[in-house]
Formats: sequence, C-alpha cells, structure tokens
Amino acid sequence: MGKILMKGNEAIGEAAIRAGCTNYFAYPITPQSEVAEYLARRLPEVGGVFLQGESEVAVSYMIFGASACGERVFTTSSSPGISLMSEGISYIAAAQCPAVFVNIMRGGPGLGGILPSQGDYFQATKGGGHGDYRLLVLAPASVQEAAEMVMQAFSLAEKYRNPVMILGDGLIGQMMEPVAFPEHLATPPVNKDDWATNGMANRGSQRPNLVKTLYLDPEQLNAHNLTLRAKYQRMRQEEVRFEPYNTEVDYQVLIVSFGTMSRVCRTAIDNLKAQGREVAMIRPQTLFPYPEAAVREAAAKASCRVVLSVEMNMGQMVEDVERSVRGQRPVEWFGKCGGEVPTPEEVMEAVRGLLAR
Amino acid sequence: MDIFRHDILAIVGNYGSGKTEVAVNLAAVRRQAGVAVRLVDLDLVNPYFRTREARHQLTRLGIEVVLPPEEFLNADLPVLSPMVAGAMRREGGLTLLDVGGDGVGARVLGALAAAWHDRPPCLVQVINPFRPETESVAGCRRVQARIEEAARLPVAGWIANAHFMDQTTLEDLREGVALVNALVEATRRPLVLVTVPERLRAAVPADLFNCPALPIRRQLVPPWLSAETL
Repeated sequence: MGKILMKGNEAIGEAAIRAGCTNYFAYPITPQSEVAEYLARRLPEVGGVFLQGESEVAVSYMIFGASACGERVFTTSSSPGISLMSEGISYIAAAQCPAVFVNIMRGGPGLGGILPSQGDYFQATKGGGHGDYRLLVLAPASVQEAAEMVMQAFSLAEKYRNPVMILGDGLIGQMMEPVAFPEHLATPPVNKDDWATNGMANRGSQRPNLVKTLYLDPEQLNAHNLTLRAKYQRMRQEEVRFEPYNTEVDYQVLIVSFGTMSRVCRTAIDNLKAQGREVAMIRPQTLFPYPEAAVREAAAKASCRVVLSVEMNMGQMVEDVERSVRGQRPVEWFGKCGGEVPTPEEVMEAVRGLLAR
Repeated sequence: MDIFRHDILAIVGNYGSGKTEVAVNLAAVRRQAGVAVRLVDLDLVNPYFRTREARHQLTRLGIEVVLPPEEFLNADLPVLSPMVAGAMRREGGLTLLDVGGDGVGARVLGALAAAWHDRPPCLVQVINPFRPETESVAGCRRVQARIEEAARLPVAGWIANAHFMDQTTLEDLREGVALVNALVEATRRPLVLVTVPERLRAAVPADLFNCPALPIRRQLVPPWLSAETL
C-alpha cells in the first residue's frame, strides 16, 4: 500500500495492524465507530481478532488480560467511553502492562455532544482513574500524524510498560487526508518473558510470572509507587515532543495549541503575518510529558508580550502553560467547546484583542 | 448513457468515496444549467462532513436542500424527514439523493420504495481508487453488491472520483479513469461522469475520457480551510 486517502479512524485501525497489533477490543461510540467498522473487515484478513465487549468497562479488562499475557493490544473509544475505561486504565498502569488507548474526543461533560472537543485534557494528562499513575499522551494534528503516533505508541508502551494514550478530537477521526504507513515505525515486540503470564512452557521457565495490582504491605506499595514515579520522570526526560511554528521571527504573541485546533491557529498565524502581525506557536505533540522548557523559552523571547492557550475546551491546558511560563508573561485562554471548532477569524480576533490591551 | 434523463439520481458508494462532494457539485452545475434541483441529505449513518455544511451556498443558488429538522442536525440518529418522500414524489427537474456509505447507507433507498413508486431512482456509484477497498475492480464490485442488495436497486453506472483532497494530480485522475474503465469492461455498465478539481480543469487532455466532466469546487473542508465558491 502506497499513499492512500483515509479517514483518521480508518488510518488508526490500519496503523495498529502495521505496528503488529492484531488484538482489538472495543465498544462502539460516535465519533470513532469507524475504527471498529474498519477493523471488523480488516483484522480477519491478517489473522487478527476484533471482539466487541459488552461495555467499555469490560473492554478495559479485556485489554488488561491480553496485555498481561504479553500480547500487543489496543482499543479506541470516545470521551464517555474512556471515562468507563478509566478504572481498568488505572489497573493496567499499576500492573505495568503495555497497552494503547485511543480517545477520539467529543463534547462533554456527561453525554455532551458528538462533535469535536478537547475536553478530556485533564482526564488524559492528570489521571482519570484513581491513584498515582500517568499515561504517556500523544496528540496528533493530522491523519498522517495519527497513523504514525499509533505505530509509535506500541513500542513506547512496551519501552515503559505503561499505557499510552492517543488523544485526538472528533475531527481527527472523521476527516480524510492522504496517508502512508512508514515501515520503519513498525518495531518487533520486545521480549516479555520476565514479567508476562505468557506460558511457562513457552519461555522454558520454572517460575510462574504474576501480574498484580494489590500491595497490602504499605512499604511495598510505597516502593511500587516510587518505581512508577521513576518511570514517569524518565518519560519527562526522554519523550517530550513539540513542533514550533513561526518562532524564528520577533513575535508579540505566543500561541500554545494542540491537535486539530493548532491547524486553525496556523491559518490564523499565516493570515496575521500577511497583515503585518507576527505570532508564533508551540504545538505540544506530547501532552504528558509536557514540553515545559519549549513553552518557557518561547515565552521568554524579548518581543513576546503574552501567551495565548487556544483549546477546544474551557481552558484545561492553561495551568500547564502557566506552570511552564512561570509567571514571566501573562497567560490567556481562548476556546470553545460546544463542538464548533473556532475559526481562523475568531483566533485572529482573540489575538488582536490581546494586542490592543 | 445520459444520466440526466432520470428525475431521481441516487449518489451511492462506499464510505468516504466522495458522494456528498459529488452530489453538492452536481446539484450546483445542474442548477446553473437552469434545472430545478432538489438535493436530499439521505446520509443516516454519519453526521460529520455532510451536505448540511454547504446548505447556505446551495440555498443561495436556488437549490432546495432537504435536511433533517434543525434540532437533529448534530445528532447521530437516523432521522428520516417526511419531506424526503415528498421530494421524491415531485415531478419535473432533478431530485438528487446524497445517500450514506456502503450497503448500510443504501438500505434507506429500499425503505423509500413507496415514495418513488414507478419512478425508481437511478443509482450511480462513486469510485475513488485511493480509498480502502475500492482500489481494485473486485473491491468496487463487492461494494456494489452490498449496495444493490440493501437498496434492492441496480447500480446503473460509475462516477470516477479519483482524488487526494487538495493534493490531486493529473496522474491520479488518469489512474482513476483506468480503474473505472476496467470496471466498465467487467460489468458492462457505463462511466457516466469524471470529477476534476477546478484547478486541474484546463490541464485535462480531451482524450482522457469520453463522458462529461464534473468540476469539483470543494465544499466539505476542515475548519482551517475555506470552501471554494460554487
């Protein structure tokens, strides 16, 4: 397969297969049901399995089970479905099992709506489930990037033995763009014999592996959490990713925006440049770990007067931007979260409003 | 084959083949040729990227757009307005049905049999060879079989809609026509239209195909791009 025209949802399904994952458990929900639709047709062609669970809670534990057995496994859902899965995600993180979760976000809270949103930023980056765990969170801004991030997610999940989340919005799932699947991103699964319950006979072992999340001894539970913490620290050092835009000029406003929202901001930045106003952008590609240093350094540029976080939510990322900027510049927010994506004109208006102050 | 001698044209095809973009542009072209056009959004499957996004431009052109009631526009509910049957019963001019994807989307046509009565819609299937499953003649025919079974109507002809959104080249068009020609050979059903992005129109050689071209001015664009003027 060379270049092909795909919906984000289809590309996510195909990317998982290309990455060597042929176990997919899911429960349908708009706007990501095309992943299941696509994989229901495609997985049998490659000897894979798609099982629809009876609920998202069930799906999260099917993922846990398959992962504990050493299999590559993933699921896709949308906001309310991810809420239901959050219990299982906490268990999977606690048990240090690799798995990939894709959230194609829709408007919330509650049932909300079915149009694009970025309202699950807190849920993805600050918890969602209980306890001290983190997800490695990747935020694609195009169908191509969604495919590549899904392919990379499996090896990242195995590298850290931790769930990885792809945080896309409804638009990423539904829009069509040309996409190619880079073969070099498909990595062979790592050896999991030292922890997975993958059969003693298979690994020629006398010792059974145990995958568990219960630590009744307080010292052991503390030690376990310190192990997890060290892992998250290592992610902060090794996995930060971001894309700068128009940062080489003397800009007055720095936009921070992720996902499809950042593409609207790009158009706004181009249009403002044509009108003689310079605005730059840092687009976080990882939301955890957050590109703190990049945002801080870009905000510190002498010409920069203000930082604007543009999101399809009510400002959930602002505190991460503020934490990064450390008070050097004022941090403002612009966004919407009903499902209508802010237009380039609206973003331009927000920027002009800041500059007029 | 002159598809325009039919009163009711149903644009069918697999998911993402470009049915809505074809239907919207075809409606505009026919209206500009002086025909009374009714465009019916019959996609009951997916609420994203649909006819409704172009409704203001279409209405300005004098095209009657039949949509689900306003309050259900953003619901993933299969809302079938009674106005659909009404539009199909009307005589004169052209009723264009923008049908949902694959067999699942085409099933509604069978359910509307009472409305079209003795004037069945003419089904034309949109083919983009760069979409999954319709990269081959066999794949296109599998989709065709599912649509025909669900709609209980035959596919009368093909629309070649080879594109990569705004990255389409002349070579892509050539590839699309070649695949659909092979499909014509295999099915004995004609190629009725070839879509051409407006910006490539002048560059298309006259001998590339021998049916009408449908210039495409993109309407269903993501929020960071502007729709072209119909």
